[in-house]
Amino acid sequence: MSNWTLDKSDIAAFLSDLGKEYRVFAPVRRNDLVSFEPLDSGEEADLGSGNSDVPPKQVFFPRSETLFTYEGGEVTAVPLEEESRLIFGIRPCDAAGLVVLDQVFNSDDYQDPYYTRRRENTVVIGLGCDRPVSTCFCTAVGGGPFAVEGLDLLLTDLGDRYLVEAVTERGQALAEGNSFLREAVEEDERLKAEIVARAEQAVSGPSTEGLKAKLDVMYDDPFWAEVHQKCLGCATCTYLCPTCHCFDIVDESTRGGGRRVRNWDSCQFTLFTLHASGHNPRPSGQERMRQRVMHKFRYFVDNFEMVACVGCGRCVSKCPVNLDIREVIEAIEAS
Amino acid sequence: MSAAIEPQADWEPKIIAFLCNWCSYAGADLAGVSRIQYPPNVRIVRVPCSSRVNPLYIIKSIQHGADGVLVSGCHPGDCHYISGNYYARRRFALLKSMLEFVGIEPGRVNFSWVSAAEGEKFARVVKDVVETVKALGPAERLVKRGWSNE
Amino acid sequence: MSELEELLRAKARQLLAEGQVQQVIGYERGTVPLRARPCFVRDPEQVERLVWNPHCENNLATYLHQADGKVAIVAKGCDARSIVNEIVERQVPRGDVVIIGVPCQGVVDRRKVEELLDGRDAFDGQITQGHLVIHGTDFEESVELQAVWNDSCATCRHRNPPVYDILIGELVEAEDGEDVFVAVRELEAKTADERWAYFSSEFSRCIRCYACRQACPSCYCPECFVDQTQPSWFAKSDELSDVMAFHLVRAYHVAGRCLDCGACARACPMGIDLRTLSRKLQKDVRELFDYEPGMDVEAAPALGSYRQDDSDKFIK
Repeated sequence: MSNWTLDKSDIAAFLSDLGKEYRVFAPVRRNDLVSFEPLDSGEEADLGSGNSDVPPKQVFFPRSETLFTYEGGEVTAVPLEEESRLIFGIRPCDAAGLVVLDQVFNSDDYQDPYYTRRRENTVVIGLGCDRPVSTCFCTAVGGGPFAVEGLDLLLTDLGDRYLVEAVTERGQALAEGNSFLREAVEEDERLKAEIVARAEQAVSGPSTEGLKAKLDVMYDDPFWAEVHQKCLGCATCTYLCPTCHCFDIVDESTRGGGRRVRNWDSCQFTLFTLHASGHNPRPSGQERMRQRVMHKFRYFVDNFEMVACVGCGRCVSKCPVNLDIREVIEAIEAS
Repeated sequence: MSAAIEPQADWEPKIIAFLCNWCSYAGADLAGVSRIQYPPNVRIVRVPCSSRVNPLYIIKSIQHGADGVLVSGCHPGDCHYISGNYYARRRFALLKSMLEFVGIEPGRVNFSWVSAAEGEKFARVVKDVVETVKALGPAERLVKRGWSNE
Repeated sequence: MSELEELLRAKARQLLAEGQVQQVIGYERGTVPLRARPCFVRDPEQVERLVWNPHCENNLATYLHQADGKVAIVAKGCDARSIVNEIVERQVPRGDVVIIGVPCQGVVDRRKVEELLDGRDAFDGQITQGHLVIHGTDFEESVELQAVWNDSCATCRHRNPPVYDILIGELVEAEDGEDVFVAVRELEAKTADERWAYFSSEFSRCIRCYACRQACPSCYCPECFVDQTQPSWFAKSDELSDVMAFHLVRAYHVAGRCLDCGACARACPMGIDLRTLSRKLQKDVRELFDYEPGMDVEAAPALGSYRQDDSDKFIK
């Protein structure tokens, strides 16, 4: 796999050029919020603000998506994504999040056609984190500020230019021959090594070594009664999490027609496990908080041999009551 | 951005009218029996009292295709349930103010007091509402888009 | 640790040790810089966790709905008004809650601080002499508290709890200067098209996480209208019509009960302007019904009462 450099002054033109072949998604700042949106012509990608407020999972797994529409007796399926797409500036934690989503939506037993088509059609160009913030903890969950899991290409900010490294054949093919890229030199790679070392030092987080083993025996522990108390029961943590993937499918009708739509759902809602009989196996915040932690750090490990958390820190910084999953993990480890 | 979609030449507004059983519905009935003409655009829903009308009905009506809404009850002091229309008055004052504040055109959501003896008034109110809504055009704001296969 | 914190902890210790209450709901230091968060103390030995500072932004009254037995609760002016409202609505028996009133000068708006820092990461901060001093790895920034108060605090006229059992600190001067409804009047002066454009743009960011609803002490329905399925009122998808409907109806359901504590806007992860709509309703309730929620435990709620001479102006 080769390395190149890309001048920062060329970014807009580089993306615009890519825009001829791909629908380019990049972090965009609108109303003080950074999210991954299709780059409108002339709009600038916001690559300096750390991680986006809204994770890029919505590019592959939208908040709401129509599966089919109906009118009278006729059903019309919504065609699967045909476009070639490219996501630019995704951070290593969010890219690792895509790998987690792949386990669920693209497994041996089951392939979600909507998600898998988008995944197949999208080139993933990542941007490493030279300045992790205090809420980042990717290294604690098997990731890192310059990890390449889930990426086709990785960019590193070297000051006035980016180092561009191919991770997959697909990334290699895209970069090879691209007129904006120059071959990298040893100095570029040396600089990157320094930046990576500094960044990895800057990330800290709780140890997760004994976590699974502890969780295996903690189902009935009174710990859960304490830890959930301040939780409001909103869906902020789940909706802003790059790995959370629960959804609900409903029909919406109006004036003789309707659609079947898939919406994000959250295990933190009371309604999530409400049975038609009226019984709710997770009747209070206690059971729901336990579920969240168990799912991410125990059940997902049992099923897929990986933790369903990438340490992006959004749940920590956005939680209205500062319920900190790092603290929860520490408490479990210490128990 | 008002009335961005040009209505078809033969478009007729659809008005949902919630009428209280004891006064306004009877008033509408009287208008009919007295053969007083009024526009056929109203679809009447009979409720026991104007305070039975959940503000959600009004919002949902607009969502699902009503171009205008009318809620009509007994005059203050004449409510069959004594005080229903007093509570309704407060509720609807706030609802109307809020909907207009967010940009729903004034004239789409209407309220009236019509007694059982006021057949003429009922017809007048309906005419007034239909004219106003006709001038506003089909409702667009808050309307759920159809899912027709066109 | 401030004098007020010492007082607060002493009172909490006393209440718990004497068995007057089962738990104290207050604030503790957060795990991220410049943050305090709700905490629940049952053991008198644990009262050292309690803090009181301008980062104590959450409205704790919302926790009274799930409280078991008698509780003491730390309440700023707005929080105390929420508690009064809950008492008026018979959600909380007056005798079951010990209100520890804390006169408040305001709480810091984390978003304003973030904007100020513009991507720089803070690791600590102190409040000293009317300034917030923020420390980062390679910078120190000092800003006047005035510049980073929450918007709801900037125009607050009830900094003192109207009802309390214990008072921590001195009552503060009420500031009656600024018009609370400036933003509302500005929007009222615009056209319907402009207002629709504004609200559509704000609410189109909503991801239906319901943080606003959950943070609000007045939203305590066991089944929220938006979760009802028989009938289903509004869809939960991203169609603007349904998203707007959720916010309109929620604002409407708290009309006459909302006292602009700002908890909803602070909780919203998308930074949506939730307050202008509820303040409009607040203004209407005041002007039409001469009612202000949260001031009087004996008051009748605005929409649960009426006057024979209420205005008929809008009625044909």
